[in-house]
Amino acid sequence: MRGRPKLFTSYAADAAIFPTTLQKGLVALGILILFLMPFDIPGISGPVPRAFPESWPIVGDRFTILGQIPIIKDGLPFIRFLGDGNWIRPMTEVFIFGIAALGLNLLAGVAGQVSLGHAFFMGAGACTAAVMGGEPGGRFWGWGLPIWIWLPAAGIVAALVGIIVSPTAVKLRGLYLGIVTLGLVFIGIHLSRVFPQIAGDTESGRRYPEFDVKLWKEESPLINVSSEDSVTGWFGLNVFEVKTEQKVYLFCLIAVILMTWLAKNISRTRTGRALQAIRDRDIAAEVMGVNEAKYKRTAFALSSFYAGIAGALYAMFLGKAAGAEFSLFLSVEFIAILLIGGAGTISGTLLGTFFVVILPEAVKKVTEWLEDQEGGITGAIGDVLLTEGPGDFGPVSTASVSPGWALGVFDWNVVIYGALIVVFLIFEPLGLFGIWMKIRNYWKGWPFTY
Amino acid sequence: MQEGDYWMAVVEDRVSPAPTASGATTVASLARDWARRDPGHIAFREKDYGIWQEYTWGDAWELIELSAHALLELGVEVGDRVTIHAEDRPEWVIVDLATVAIRATTVGMYPTNPAAEVEYTLNDSGAVVHVVEDQEQVDKVFDCDPELITSIRNLVYLEPRGFSDYTDERLIFWENFLEMGRKHREQNPGAVDDRMAAATDDDIMTFVYTSGTTGPPKGAMLSNRNSMFAISKIINESKAMPDGKAPNKNDQILTYLPLCHVAERIFSTWTMLAGGPTLNFAESIETVAMNLREIQPTLFFAVPRIWERLHAGVLIRGSDATFFKKAWLNMAMGAADRIGKAKVANGGSHTTSSRIQHAIFYPLVFRALQERVGLRHCRRAASGAAPIAPEVLQFFMGIGIEVFELYGMTENSAVATVNYPGRVKLGTVGEPYDDIGLRIHEETGEIQTKHEGNFAGYWQKPEKTAETFTEDGWLKTGDVGEWVDGTHVKIVDRMKDIIITSGGKNISPSEIENTLKASPFIKEAMVIGDGRKYLTALIAIELDVVGDWALRRNIPYTTYRDLTEKEEVIELVQKTVDDTNSKFARVEGLKKFRLIPKELDHEDGELTATQKLKRSAMMELFGDLVESMY
Repeated sequence: MRGRPKLFTSYAADAAIFPTTLQKGLVALGILILFLMPFDIPGISGPVPRAFPESWPIVGDRFTILGQIPIIKDGLPFIRFLGDGNWIRPMTEVFIFGIAALGLNLLAGVAGQVSLGHAFFMGAGACTAAVMGGEPGGRFWGWGLPIWIWLPAAGIVAALVGIIVSPTAVKLRGLYLGIVTLGLVFIGIHLSRVFPQIAGDTESGRRYPEFDVKLWKEESPLINVSSEDSVTGWFGLNVFEVKTEQKVYLFCLIAVILMTWLAKNISRTRTGRALQAIRDRDIAAEVMGVNEAKYKRTAFALSSFYAGIAGALYAMFLGKAAGAEFSLFLSVEFIAILLIGGAGTISGTLLGTFFVVILPEAVKKVTEWLEDQEGGITGAIGDVLLTEGPGDFGPVSTASVSPGWALGVFDWNVVIYGALIVVFLIFEPLGLFGIWMKIRNYWKGWPFTY
Repeated sequence: MQEGDYWMAVVEDRVSPAPTASGATTVASLARDWARRDPGHIAFREKDYGIWQEYTWGDAWELIELSAHALLELGVEVGDRVTIHAEDRPEWVIVDLATVAIRATTVGMYPTNPAAEVEYTLNDSGAVVHVVEDQEQVDKVFDCDPELITSIRNLVYLEPRGFSDYTDERLIFWENFLEMGRKHREQNPGAVDDRMAAATDDDIMTFVYTSGTTGPPKGAMLSNRNSMFAISKIINESKAMPDGKAPNKNDQILTYLPLCHVAERIFSTWTMLAGGPTLNFAESIETVAMNLREIQPTLFFAVPRIWERLHAGVLIRGSDATFFKKAWLNMAMGAADRIGKAKVANGGSHTTSSRIQHAIFYPLVFRALQERVGLRHCRRAASGAAPIAPEVLQFFMGIGIEVFELYGMTENSAVATVNYPGRVKLGTVGEPYDDIGLRIHEETGEIQTKHEGNFAGYWQKPEKTAETFTEDGWLKTGDVGEWVDGTHVKIVDRMKDIIITSGGKNISPSEIENTLKASPFIKEAMVIGDGRKYLTALIAIELDVVGDWALRRNIPYTTYRDLTEKEEVIELVQKTVDDTNSKFARVEGLKKFRLIPKELDHEDGELTATQKLKRSAMMELFGDLVESMY
């Protein structure tokens, strides 16, 4: 019925992902923008226009207010990427981490099983990809299979590992489960050192397979992703240049859209409801007929499947990585994503991923920009905040300064994470999604409060 | 009969393209026409297990036909009574139409009717089949004196829960009842059609029991002619609709008032049969506010109590809003007040300035407000069945929901007067419908009507029936009215309720009572003063609102009674009483009042099933309170 958003005549309509046409339209628009972001779209991706023509005296060199903001001065970063490769890689990372975070969300957010072992499952996926897709005949194992085999296989192998681990979750709860999964990460790193044929050298790791889509082991790939030769483009189309980075970006974008769709559908079906019941009270769920062991196994399998896929993509994205890449820090980063974004929600998870992955980049950009400022208010701020040489005091040390009492940008990122997690846990346990919900409910209730 | 034939012709012209070859047009034949013409159209929606389950006309007619066959199987003869004791739900309408299809008579009961009233109704109507909703309602039957309800042969129950221990042989579960109908249809195909073909205009289709504010309830008999006349009024009076369109298939109706009352029957089932709107059954009376927001009906009828509650809801939630929202709301309410006043002065139409203010505040506040109330898509809202305070109507006019007050009663199939868009006069019940007879008796001031909708009489009470009609065949409504500007009718009061003080002054209590009830703090008020020196009132407070008010002022209270004894509360009510007194002449002022120490209730006999005060019972129950004021 038109104009009656609360009138549901079927359960399908009640559980629809996008109940209204407006939402469908907005999501479609958002996806379209994401697809267009890497390309040069005149008017959007150019620098912020000047307020006045350059030829005008005095005011000609002024920027508009938007032009004063460093990150977007050269163009809107979240909408434009071309010509500024700085953003396209972090964005690709957002997509890959997004897939992994969706997996952890299914396990920790939807099913309530705390896991610190997410990096281990990602590593399992990465190793599977390395072996199945790696160059044959080298120092390391490699079968040279095409991507359509090894990418799903990475997920499946990780899922199998998850199923093996899952019985502990039936026995243990909360922190105890967290400790056990914590152990997994160290076992993983140890194994990667024991089996260099799989994981590569301890320090330098090994080369991971590339994104090229091949039918089998032929020479020229069906879809050439890794090649710098961009003129041939995809399917031999020669319409516009597509660089390698852009292709990887698009590949990961498609992957994250598919995985999000899958996660959304899992969480709104019978399986998802069973997982939520276990989260809310496992004993009560069992009384209601939810098979606890089965659904915890399902949760671990699904979560690890996501982690495996993300791990394979991540390794491929890095190109060359060691087993130590999949460390406890990576696991903690996913916990941070969940807590900041909002555990148990799909959109919150993706929002949190964006925030957590882009934040270090943003901090780095701001520091670099402050470094360049001379005089004026911004220069003064830079003076106070930055340590630019011996005898200069400021909490942030720039890259050119050897570490002193001031913290480097990377350390500040860790501090900011920690602070954010504390702040969110205290003030907004539902994360960014909770903030969004509050804003939405404020306007939903208009003109009343309830 | 000529006039009746004329209306029948109109009904057939608008409703059924193929006139029924034989048999009078009845609500059942209209339902059959819909099923044949538009089997895929949604007839009912009922909220069950969290979603609105839909019944198409095809489904609905199948169920009606099966029920009709089942009733035949149970031996229901022409003119037999079938009683229904259930909340509003599709089965209510199905049984109602099935009963009419086999030329029997439907008798509805209020779900709140206690066992004593069930006993009275079953005994008085002499029903043969009694359809009950659930265990609670069937227990009332078992509480009755079996000597008095010997006519009941079968009890059909709709909800199986709690029936496993019941062994009474008269009990039949709804599904089995339908199965019975299916078997009967196989053996006697066309039996229902035969009955329908034999239907006459004079068949009694339903008894509507009067609420009995004065004496025991009387069963008012409505014939097929009466119902068809009411339906013809619904679909032909398209000028009563603000957009000029008669009820049609795109309309949505929320059914929530008791279907045994003639008003809900007309505004939901009969309107559905006339024009094809979909009936949406509210889950219960408590969830009406939520269901309204979900359904956003296009046609909405409510009794003043509901309008007052919606109004109070806006005021209370508005006062609880946060600072920024409250500021906007106050601004919008100021505008609503001005718009409302301008519209009232202009017969319900916009003036230029009110139109501008509406255009400004509609996107900012009114649209959201209408959505929250649940009437954003409402194209016609109506109020009736009791007098409503003009302040409430003005408020809704102000926020863009025009509520038209209308007037009618069971005995004239609720066809009497209506306020037409653009010609609204607040405080009146509008103008008589075209082509009906309506007069106000010169001496007594009583409103009298004469048209096809005048009922066939009270069941087994010929002397009461005779009292109700004048010698020349006009129906005496018992309401005192007067003409306003020669076109509009203003109801002064029920004839029996007029107060004559010991000073000889004639005073209409309902006007004073309604002004009091316009305050959100006051739920019920009863003005007393017949044969006394001055006027006084018994007042019942609204527990939710006054309780909320007390909490805000840190006034602790335990029970309803405790709350009514708080001095602050008495002061609060005193203020409302003073405001009311300032609007009336000195002799009409209330000298004193007392707060009723208990919540009024149907079961305790203070209210009728329609939540009207039983004045005589009140005088008896609270006699000492009354005496304390004199």
